[in-house]
Amino acid sequence: MTDRTDPSAMPATPAPRVFDEDPVRPTLGQRISSKKVAPWLFMAPVIAFGLIFFILPIFYAAFISLTRWNSLTPPKFVGLANYKYLLTIDPRFWDTFWNTAYFAAGSLAIGIPIAMILAYAFTRAWGQAFWRSIYWLPMITNVVAVAYIWKFLLDDSFGLINQALGFLGLPGPGWLTNPDIAMLSTILVFVWMQLGHNMLLFSAGLASIDDSYYEAARLDGANETQVFLRITVPLLKPTILFVLITNFITGLSYFTLMLVLTQGGPLGKTTVTALYMYDMAFADLRMGRASAAAYILFFFILIVTIIQLRIFRRGGVDAH
Amino acid sequence: MAIVTSRSKTALLWTVVKYGLLVIGAIIMVAPFIDMFLGALRTPAERLARPPIYWPRDPQWINFKRVFTEMPTLVWLRNSVIVTLAVTALQILTSSMAGYALAKYRFAGANMMFRTVLGAQMFPFFLFIIPIFFILRYFPLIGGNDLLGQGGMGFLNSYSAIILPFAVSWYGIFLMRQFFMGVPDELLDAARLDGAGEFRIFFVIVLPLVLPGLATLAIFVFVYQWNEVIWTMTITRTAPDLQTLPVGIFLLRGAFTEEATQSLQQAAVAVSVLPVMLTFLLLQRYYVRGLTAGSVKG
Repeated sequence: MTDRTDPSAMPATPAPRVFDEDPVRPTLGQRISSKKVAPWLFMAPVIAFGLIFFILPIFYAAFISLTRWNSLTPPKFVGLANYKYLLTIDPRFWDTFWNTAYFAAGSLAIGIPIAMILAYAFTRAWGQAFWRSIYWLPMITNVVAVAYIWKFLLDDSFGLINQALGFLGLPGPGWLTNPDIAMLSTILVFVWMQLGHNMLLFSAGLASIDDSYYEAARLDGANETQVFLRITVPLLKPTILFVLITNFITGLSYFTLMLVLTQGGPLGKTTVTALYMYDMAFADLRMGRASAAAYILFFFILIVTIIQLRIFRRGGVDAH
Repeated sequence: MAIVTSRSKTALLWTVVKYGLLVIGAIIMVAPFIDMFLGALRTPAERLARPPIYWPRDPQWINFKRVFTEMPTLVWLRNSVIVTLAVTALQILTSSMAGYALAKYRFAGANMMFRTVLGAQMFPFFLFIIPIFFILRYFPLIGGNDLLGQGGMGFLNSYSAIILPFAVSWYGIFLMRQFFMGVPDELLDAARLDGAGEFRIFFVIVLPLVLPGLATLAIFVFVYQWNEVIWTMTITRTAPDLQTLPVGIFLLRGAFTEEATQSLQQAAVAVSVLPVMLTFLLLQRYYVRGLTAGSVKG
């Protein structure tokens, strides 16, 4: 990019310049690096990539969702048939939808209280860098490693967890093989992955609470539990709302862990809608139907997002 | 006096509870990694014993060597490094340029573009997998394609297919804009008075000032891209030469159905985790900034 400012790198200027007639006329190089043109050149890569990899795909996906297409023969336009099939006929779509809701809500219900309590302890503990390094390890670990680490831990007969339960005389469940438990196990692994991230958000919120509130409460004789419930939680409300809602939206669109840990099984009990869409596209080659599923899920997430923005405004969260 | 002692007792109790919780949590965070590490060191005989032997009696350190000699790990590692470095470099360039334009210039459409940057972050990635796959497949004049995108394979089976969709990050633009907002306008105006062009100002004067910001973005992108699985797997499923470490390990899982061979799989998993872990432990303070910047202001 820099060589654009160098006039010698430009094609030769045609007519010889007559300086006394037009003394301030800028060269091409000067014009390109002027305040008017420069911002557009700075934006150019983002505009180009944004058009090809953001705007175009949104419309392309909408078009594909209106066709029947196996990606090998030309697509056939079918109107809204894919949407109608998924919403009214498909026996599996709504199952995956409820699995998605279960996953998103479950990871909130389990993950948020744990993250909040640990963040509260973390913010007032010595050795923050030490704790941080430990609690963030899962978050920076690739999902394939996470899946294989837990596959061994959760193994029915010889995993560390069921061995430990057996040692205590308790029957260990089939964490990943029992259809009633597999989703809960997936949620627990996901909570383990996300804990560091949520703790960080909470501890940023906690750090912004002024110490004078705590001092005043202590002078009034409040104990730690009272301080936590009466001072911390109410003042942390904007952060709690933010974490709840962003986590919920992440949970609705997430499927990588299920793809590598359980492949959606057993009996499809961990197949969330996004994973169902992915398999429809790249295992069954039903590009049209898969795109329609993606759009339905997207619209649902969009509605949740709009509701979120309303709650944010009412809850006093000053974030985008 | 009695009040004071009961108070210091509760304070002591609270301290115990606080560190107790942190220690229990820390064990749950770290133990799975140790389990994987011990698994990587077990002999086949230890795995096949019933019940299996947990602490390896004869640690098989050689498994970490076999990972490189008996599996395509070197190819995966090379691919991971190439893809991660390319994406990191591209995102640093595109994000800092666009972030600078949005922070320091008034131009037609600037506001609209900033809104797009914010709004685009709300679009979930799954929506883009299918269309981007076929956009790369039918890209005109690339990989043997004609003007209409027919006849060849487009970008498929090339590093570009893995890298290009990640060349621009909306989050990165937003993050860099925040950092550029902190650079005083007077500095830019002074440079302009001295006759410096806008590009010289950006590359020579402003960029060095936001080096901490660039470091934050770099470590953030590095960790994200090294761990990226879904897209890389989708695009390299049929191109083993292009698979990255996590993707290669996952797609080769069929080779480890025998219990006796699983130590090797666990060793490979450890190898895939290690580079990020080391980078992260060295540079974690930059990572904190990337996660907190712009997320919560309440």
